[in-house]
Amino acid sequence: MLKEILRFEFSYRKNRPATYIYFGILFILCFAASTSKYVSFEGVAGGQIKENSPFFLTTMTIIMTFFMTFICSAIMGVAVLRDFEHKMESLVFSTTVCKFDYLIGRFLGSFIVMVLVYSSIWLALMLGFSIGEYLPWEPSWEGKKMLPFDAWSFLQPFIYWGITNIFIQGAIFFAAGALSRSTIVIYTQGIVLFVLYQITNTILSDIENKTVAALLDPFCYRTFQIYTEYWTPAQKNALLVPFEGIMLWNRVIWCSFALLILIITYFSFSYNVVRNSLFKKKAVKEEKSAFQPDSIRIPVVHQFSGFGTNLKQLWKESVFYTKMIVREIPFIAIIFVGLADLTISSFYFDEMYGTSSYPITANVIGLLNNFDLYFLIIVVFYSGEIIWKERVTNMHLIIDATPVPDWVNLFAKFVGLLIIYISLLLILILSGILIQASHGYFNFEISLYFKALFTNTLIFLVLYTLLSFFVQVMGNNKFVGFAMMFVFFLVTFFLGASGIQHPLFSFGSGSLRDYSDMNKYGHFITRFSWLKFYWLAFVAFLFILAVVFSVRGSEAVMKTRLRVGKLRLTRPILTIGIFSFIAFIAAGCYVFYNTNRLNEYETREEGEDKQVAYEKALKKFEHLPQPKIIDVNLKVEIYPQTRNFTAEGYFWLKNKTEKPLADVHIQNDMEHKMKIDYLKFDNGAKENKAHSKFGYIIYTLNKPLAPDDSVKMSFKTQFETKGFVATGGNTDVVYNGTFFNNMYFPTIGYNNSYEINDDDTRRKKKLPEKERMMEQNNPVGLSQSLFGDDADYIRFEMVIGTDKDQTAIAPGYLQKTWDENNRKYFHYKMDVSMCNFYSIVSAKYEVKKDKWKDVNLEIYYNKGHEYNLDKMMASMKASFDYFSKNFTPYQYRQMRIMEFPRYAEFAQSFANTVPFSEGIGFIQKVADPKEDIDMPYYVTAHELGHQWWGHQVAEANVKGNAMLSETQAQYSALMVMKHAVTPEMMQKFLKYELNRYLQGRATERKKEQPLNMVEGQGYIHYQKGSLVMFALQDYIGEEKVNLALRNFLADWQYPGPDSKNKRYPTSNDLLKYFKAQTPDSLKNIITDMFETITLFENKVEKVAYKPLKDKTFEVKITTTNEKFRADSSGNEAPIAINDWIDVGVYGTDKNGDDKLLYLKKHKVTQKNNTFTIIVKEEPKKAGIDPINKLIDRHAEDNTKAAEESEGI
Amino acid sequence: MQLTISNLNKTYSNGVHALKDVNLTINQGMFGLLGPNGAGKSSLMRTIATLQEPDSGSISLGNINVLTQKEEVRKTLGYLPQEFGVYPKVDAITLLNHLAVLKGITNTTERKSVVEALLHKTNLWGARKKNLGGYSGGMKQRFGIAQALLANPKLIIVDEPTAGLDPAERNRFLNLLSELGENTVVILSTHIVDDVKELCSDMAVFNKGEVLFKGSPDEALNAIVGKIWEKRISKAELSDYKNNFKVISEKLIAGNPIIHVFAESNPDGTFEPVEGDLEDVYFSKIFA
Repeated sequence: MLKEILRFEFSYRKNRPATYIYFGILFILCFAASTSKYVSFEGVAGGQIKENSPFFLTTMTIIMTFFMTFICSAIMGVAVLRDFEHKMESLVFSTTVCKFDYLIGRFLGSFIVMVLVYSSIWLALMLGFSIGEYLPWEPSWEGKKMLPFDAWSFLQPFIYWGITNIFIQGAIFFAAGALSRSTIVIYTQGIVLFVLYQITNTILSDIENKTVAALLDPFCYRTFQIYTEYWTPAQKNALLVPFEGIMLWNRVIWCSFALLILIITYFSFSYNVVRNSLFKKKAVKEEKSAFQPDSIRIPVVHQFSGFGTNLKQLWKESVFYTKMIVREIPFIAIIFVGLADLTISSFYFDEMYGTSSYPITANVIGLLNNFDLYFLIIVVFYSGEIIWKERVTNMHLIIDATPVPDWVNLFAKFVGLLIIYISLLLILILSGILIQASHGYFNFEISLYFKALFTNTLIFLVLYTLLSFFVQVMGNNKFVGFAMMFVFFLVTFFLGASGIQHPLFSFGSGSLRDYSDMNKYGHFITRFSWLKFYWLAFVAFLFILAVVFSVRGSEAVMKTRLRVGKLRLTRPILTIGIFSFIAFIAAGCYVFYNTNRLNEYETREEGEDKQVAYEKALKKFEHLPQPKIIDVNLKVEIYPQTRNFTAEGYFWLKNKTEKPLADVHIQNDMEHKMKIDYLKFDNGAKENKAHSKFGYIIYTLNKPLAPDDSVKMSFKTQFETKGFVATGGNTDVVYNGTFFNNMYFPTIGYNNSYEINDDDTRRKKKLPEKERMMEQNNPVGLSQSLFGDDADYIRFEMVIGTDKDQTAIAPGYLQKTWDENNRKYFHYKMDVSMCNFYSIVSAKYEVKKDKWKDVNLEIYYNKGHEYNLDKMMASMKASFDYFSKNFTPYQYRQMRIMEFPRYAEFAQSFANTVPFSEGIGFIQKVADPKEDIDMPYYVTAHELGHQWWGHQVAEANVKGNAMLSETQAQYSALMVMKHAVTPEMMQKFLKYELNRYLQGRATERKKEQPLNMVEGQGYIHYQKGSLVMFALQDYIGEEKVNLALRNFLADWQYPGPDSKNKRYPTSNDLLKYFKAQTPDSLKNIITDMFETITLFENKVEKVAYKPLKDKTFEVKITTTNEKFRADSSGNEAPIAINDWIDVGVYGTDKNGDDKLLYLKKHKVTQKNNTFTIIVKEEPKKAGIDPINKLIDRHAEDNTKAAEESEGI
Repeated sequence: MQLTISNLNKTYSNGVHALKDVNLTINQGMFGLLGPNGAGKSSLMRTIATLQEPDSGSISLGNINVLTQKEEVRKTLGYLPQEFGVYPKVDAITLLNHLAVLKGITNTTERKSVVEALLHKTNLWGARKKNLGGYSGGMKQRFGIAQALLANPKLIIVDEPTAGLDPAERNRFLNLLSELGENTVVILSTHIVDDVKELCSDMAVFNKGEVLFKGSPDEALNAIVGKIWEKRISKAELSDYKNNFKVISEKLIAGNPIIHVFAESNPDGTFEPVEGDLEDVYFSKIFA
């Protein structure tokens, strides 16, 4: 019998066109993903990771299960439900089929169908990668050397993770359908699964939660990400994920859960037509009343009509619909789940190294925006439900025959939803306030909440609701409507990916961007308003169409609807329709005028083509000898309110070569569309405008510049804001919080940063692959610093004019400030030479001042952001103390930190000036100094470190350069922090650094370099740099490291062609100084840490201890120690171990916390080791490299709890 | 007021010819539309109720063109569809109130009184606060009747209203309709001959989209006087008789069929003449 049921279910699906459509959709998606050049998977494939690597195939397979959820709910969910919906249950249940056969048969039948539908994924991928290169179009991997075909790497992920996922989802949906006998419960079920996945994302901002997150994800995707997070590109290309570790546990847990669900379903499924509800329904007693129909007269009532009545009807109907939806259990469930998700997220507020931010309203709004996902679900679901409400309940004929105008019914449904949205937004605002209060933050900016949620979010809801109404009305089938909405999202995504990104074509475009306390919503409001107006007019027009074409009565044939529609075109409807259409077109024209006429619009493809043309035309000039800037004197006029500025003044250019120079190549800043009003040289020059379309002009001086001679180049350049642009929009020049640097001004010669860097894109454009940096022995690279080849050191002077209420700041010392023409002017001058790298900042500031010795310390901040000023001040003092004592004296007499808006999140060090983003530092909340890393303190120290590493020693523009500036700034900050916080906090910080380094190398696109050859790879020069420098000072001593740095500074301070070394230094120059301070016994650590990629696998196998007679304890620690060396793709080979490694034993202090009883380096020369150590207190745990000083992918297995045992 | 239907035609997209050149004039009072299942009654009713479009033809109610001035028709319309559902999680009084608003009864006091009166009238007052999802078939049907009578309709269309009602309920309902029928156009579609017999002053027999007969029941009966013949036969003979005579109905009495034959004279002399009733009219029109 079971077989029969199974066969029936199977053949039922076999004959349904939907089954083939599902298969087709998945097939097309996967085929497109594997063969389209428009679909790119940043971080998952591309660069070193091959598109047909097991890693990518596994990723695709698991990701597709997200799509599968929809299909699974449709196939598995209704396997039993179908009988109830078609009212077949009485017939089925009264046959001889037993419950077991019925349920299991249905389940297995559907399950097999699911497995077959799902096979489309590996089939499509297999086909895509096999025939991709022969297709008439080019796949993204065209021309790339791919891995040889291996069927198992397609099938294994499908069998291991795909089928288990189907089983888990299938069981859950099957149970939901069978037990609830209601479609919507099935959907709600699906949402719960997504939310679980979502939550794993949230809790991962604390890296301690990795295991929990891995186990919690029902899709196993997060688990997969975590399992493979440290896999190098080589491993990703070679390895399949086995049933092991968290992957195994995740599957065991979820499959058991699914099995349990099936068992529960079996026992609680009532094989009856009528069943007892789980909840006792509130019984409404029928009143007994005397029934005398004849005596009752039906009163005569007045029937009203007209617009006034319609409005009343509209309102009553809207409220009626609102009440109806609010009573739906799934609706309440979605809201509940969404709010639960919010609550969980609120514990992990904008975290950075495990330290959260203050819940300022702008941040909380960012958090509340996470609810958009739930809103979208509600919009799509309930707009469908509400449109179909009458027809699903079969009440439409009654309702449709009432004398209500067509627009009232549809509009009431919209208003009904609108009431719900508004209520939800109010609930969100309340939640936001509660979140703030629960964090002990009481500066509620209620009006900001309203501004954000009642503009951006509400419009988003209105747009999608009306779109969905239109789709539902035109599609005239609820599920077709849902499917069309889903397809709409997909199409939007693919259009965006294929380069059609113009806001006029991407539905609902025009985001408000993040709110900044400094710049508020800034200039984004204009663009936002116009685009939203455009889209609102569009959906208003769609709504009118929906009114005209909506089905009333029993006619659903399009032809009839057209005929009836004509009757509905009353004058008001027609007027509104025409008006909204005109508004749509007019707004569109205005937007187009702004984005494409006032401003230049460029698709990604066009932009790339331009880069290619630039490289092809001008690369030949790259290393042409050019004069250098030696003096900058500019007057910058900033007009914050119109977002314009002009810069006028001069550069002095000096010929530092040995030959006369006649041609000066000037590159205008094209990226920011700068306009040069004039540019002239003393004694005159001829302009060659052959390449002017690239902003590249060659000036032939009338009098060639003799060696050592200088010429004055005067110019005026301007930045002009016109209307608004299609995407992005400049965030450097804003109403309040302007921050830009000298990249806006004319530069000298070819600019290789305009080139395409990504190798995949270059291959697509038929350009050769490109080295990221010059070799260390390249004289060109050695003769220029990281700040570029335009200058070595400059004299600097600048006058900045700005609005009266703003303060403008540039490097140098303030000479004078004055008012003129209702504007404020600031005159800055630097009295020593400095690097050719300067910032121009202007905003409304409060100032906090202090002093360290003779140095003036100033923090310019936005009012209200006082939280961390003291920490930053303290950090500045501690940094100056440490750096001037251990390195060299500070070269300036002043240090200023200036806050800038949160559009970018970084801090940057200029001469005596550090612009510091609003988003980091200023609003970080260091609630508990024992738990939270003091990021404002750390970042400040890092940036101040750059006054030495970067500004006192600028490194050569060659491989490994960032090891001098960034790594040493990291080291400097680490030392300042080390003397301010507990060792545990240092360990916590380094744990984050280790995690980020290991994740960074896992997604390396080109090649991982050793630290001394780093090519602008942040995870190496920052994160690995921190780890390595901290370990170095631990091994050879902080004093020795500082001595090496001091010696280095003595030889290399202010380097360059004009210095005694005649060049800029490289990482290997610095390494010599480190080597000089390293004893021979430790020399290998320099090789391991700086010159190669070396990883350790240190692990404690067992820790046993026994008390000795003299009240001491003997601890025996058994470990395994391995050492590996990796190449640039991450291929690893074991190498002999011969290292000094920490062995540590922990006891317990008075508070019950860990306390180090013993920590000493032991020489390790083999894989298996045993250490016997005597400690004075009872040990709690012990381990090898317990503080994680070495790079080790499994830091957590370095310690283990100690067990008492006699037999050691 | 008079409802005039002229040359109405409708073919569905699946090819079913639901209305074939229908011409009817319906006056105030009860009008019975008699026909078997699938005859096209509901199509006709829906078309009159502004819920369906004919392919051709016209309908007018007094001066109102039903096909174009839909809203005017709806104002005076009370419609009970053949099959209908209700929002399951809403109680009767709320939904009736809601429908009253949609019918334009925006005065709160008036609305309250008419809703209450109708609930009493349809014997739903006791269950007014019960969710409609929990209503029995009969209760739901009564609710349907109540809503059709909101706003003192001048045109009442009730499609198979007595289906699902028990005999007592059916009687009460028919009484209720007859009360209204005096100055209202009431169109009652049914396949139950007794409904028409008891109530209607005027009627039409309808089958396969065509009007087979129209007139008063009396006229209908007059037309068959002396033409209905009855005979008790055995089961085995049934097919013979069916082949040889115009058998319009067969009934089992005590296990043996009694057949009625429609003929001008006694078909083979063995038949007994009977006084035809409306049922015979009905069957004679359908099977003739």
